[in-house]
Amino acid sequence: MVKVRIPTPLRPLTGGKNEVEATASDIQSMIESLNGQFPGLKDRVCDDKGEIRRFVNIYLNEEDIRFLQGKDTPLKDGDEISIVPAIAGGAHPHERSA
Amino acid sequence: MFDLTVPQQILDEMIAEARAAAPHECCGMLAGRGKQVTHHYKIKNIVAAKAEAVKQMFDDAKIVHLEGLSPEERADIAFWMDDKDMFAAQKDMRRQDIELLASYHSHPVSPSRPSPTDIKALALYPDIFHIIISLQESKPVTNAFRIVDGTVTKISYQTT
Repeated sequence: MVKVRIPTPLRPLTGGKNEVEATASDIQSMIESLNGQFPGLKDRVCDDKGEIRRFVNIYLNEEDIRFLQGKDTPLKDGDEISIVPAIAGGAHPHERSA
Repeated sequence: MFDLTVPQQILDEMIAEARAAAPHECCGMLAGRGKQVTHHYKIKNIVAAKAEAVKQMFDDAKIVHLEGLSPEERADIAFWMDDKDMFAAQKDMRRQDIELLASYHSHPVSPSRPSPTDIKALALYPDIFHIIISLQESKPVTNAFRIVDGTVTKISYQTT
């Protein structure tokens, strides 16, 4: 069993819970497990090819899974996973002075 | 009745940060309890290093525009909060038992209202407020907004 921290934007899908549990051997199966419990969650985290969206960061304990084995990163009992969507934006380029 | 209360000292720090970062955009997070901001987390703007992710997030017109710019120029018109800084800030929030209440970023030469890209990208965070610091005029303008499903609502905040 692993503990997954759910970011504010995904909490409507988890009934407001900020932490949930999943039984999973790797990140991929964790996402599937979460989607089974909270339908629609996978679509928010993964693109239509099943890859983790670039603006969604997933941390295993303290490490970004991109620097581990991505969605194949193995999990063990007691691991803590955090899902952290990016915060990004832009200005008004057409109003930018020359 | 105000939607958010921000200590004047934190607002002053945010404006100073925006001025120091100009012509690039600065960005950060505000946290606290209820409607009261108590903590300010300055986050690095790493949009220059996020070209691929930017392609997925930003609208087509903006992508063309961004790709025509150097990495430094991209940071003039866009921001992407550093993932590691964000993770560290959120860890600190959990430790202090406070919640993320608002994001902020600067518009060095454009108005204090969400750009089309802001409306698209910040829609990932409909439950928090978004403060935009404009340095377009000599006196900085800081407005706060909520962005839900493409709809922008200006909210009222007070400083104390």
